[in-house]
Amino acid sequence: MLLEVRNLHVHYNKVAALKGVSLQVPSGGIVTIIGANGAGKSTTLRSISGLTKPSKGEIHFDGQRIDNLPAEKIVARGIAHVPEGRRIFPDLTVEENLRIGAFLRTDKAKIESDIEDIFQRFPRLKERRTQWARTLSGGEQQMVAIGRALMSGPKLLLLDEPSMGLSPVMVQEMARIVSDIAERGVPVVLVEQNAGLALKLASYAYVLEIGTVAVEGKASDLQTNDHVRRAYLGA
Amino acid sequence: MPDFLLQTVFNASYAASYMALIAVGLVLIFGVMGVINFAHGELYMAGAYAIVFFYVWSGLPFFVAVALGLVFVGCLGILMELTLFRPLRTNPLGGLIASIGFLLILQTLAVLGFGLRNQNVPPVSQGRITVGGAFLTYERLYVIIATIGLLTALYFFLRKSKFGWALRACAQDREAAALQGISINQTARYAMFIGAALAGVAGAMTAPLVAPSPYMGHSVIVTAFIIIIVGGIGSLEGAVVAAVLYAFVHTFVTTFYDGVIANIVGLLLMLAVLVVKPQGLFGVRERA
Repeated sequence: MLLEVRNLHVHYNKVAALKGVSLQVPSGGIVTIIGANGAGKSTTLRSISGLTKPSKGEIHFDGQRIDNLPAEKIVARGIAHVPEGRRIFPDLTVEENLRIGAFLRTDKAKIESDIEDIFQRFPRLKERRTQWARTLSGGEQQMVAIGRALMSGPKLLLLDEPSMGLSPVMVQEMARIVSDIAERGVPVVLVEQNAGLALKLASYAYVLEIGTVAVEGKASDLQTNDHVRRAYLGA
Repeated sequence: MPDFLLQTVFNASYAASYMALIAVGLVLIFGVMGVINFAHGELYMAGAYAIVFFYVWSGLPFFVAVALGLVFVGCLGILMELTLFRPLRTNPLGGLIASIGFLLILQTLAVLGFGLRNQNVPPVSQGRITVGGAFLTYERLYVIIATIGLLTALYFFLRKSKFGWALRACAQDREAAALQGISINQTARYAMFIGAALAGVAGAMTAPLVAPSPYMGHSVIVTAFIIIIVGGIGSLEGAVVAAVLYAFVHTFVTTFYDGVIANIVGLLLMLAVLVVKPQGLFGVRERA
């Protein structure tokens, strides 16, 4: 397994956000975490990338324990996190946003070819490369956030609600982008409230309910699971 | 242009220059650290005293003394970051209070080391540029040139270098910056060194013109606050524009009325800007 989360507990002040979450991510494909608001999906990703310190439990990545590292050291190990709400740098240009994703890298030639690669994937960003990121539409900002994460050359990509606030057309575009990233060999952990979409994209899924894993299994099995259908797919 | 008008423009340009250096440093520190550095006026004072020590007492060439002052005050900034702001990282108000304490320490050290009285710094140059009946001394011209040079260098650093992007990224979203592998501690050190060093250079370059005293930082910090509020807290270009605006208004009113009225007009200027544009001239939004 590329990533193993074991019995993770997180407290915000004294309130428990995660109460013993365990999950595994293989070194290929898409794993999704679905669940309602406040179930602990974002907290799980934030713990993996080091933004939130767990109070108990372990996180292992690539064979090494990482839950005691600060966020900037975890990026260096190869985990890129596209946080909830995109969190692009509004007063940096599109290109500066992308290049800062490669902050830790020193392979200059490869950085240039990766930038070109991002611009090929997202031609709209190329047109807007010198614009302030704040002037972009929501979908374009999401592309910047994903492009910035890819610029770190990650071994694993954490995506927190990439479809949030986007138009239906843009949501489909995002789905295509996420599948494409996984097909090109970067495994993805996808957090989504749009459970139907997430289960279509992913091969394996975890359902979080109030800080614990309520159900897990192959995404295709979960699509037909009664509990999941009733609670998350509106069936 | 009548000579006295031109003369006032020269005087205002000089005032705008060193105030811009001080205000830009203050904004940079606030942007990256989220801390209002009340000791910023005392960093300016420390720069002036660096000239007293290196130039007057040690007899080094003036510009060597300025360079040493830059490094010395920049290191004071790093010291503040390591001892005060880092332990209080999650508590910006604590940082502000700590900086007030640091201000008192610096003032006391200046009194202990140099005494209470104003220091006399011998002129660096007697030269002047004369245009009609107006003149600009070389000493003031050096301040203007140093400001333009340093602010241009800062602009290119922030816009063209990786560490400049890191500084701006940290100022905009600290957590997202950490996700890019940017170390907050390292960036904070850069910001404190640069911000403090700019104030130090302002103090060093103006030392021969102002007769340094331990309490010279007071009036400067008040002016700097007005400038960064008018410019929009967090905006570097706003700080430069507001420094020019404030210095011109203040200098002209001082020349044609008097200094007290000029201070009142300066505050009214801030009030007017806040009424029309509460986020300041260049402020776009609140920053953490």
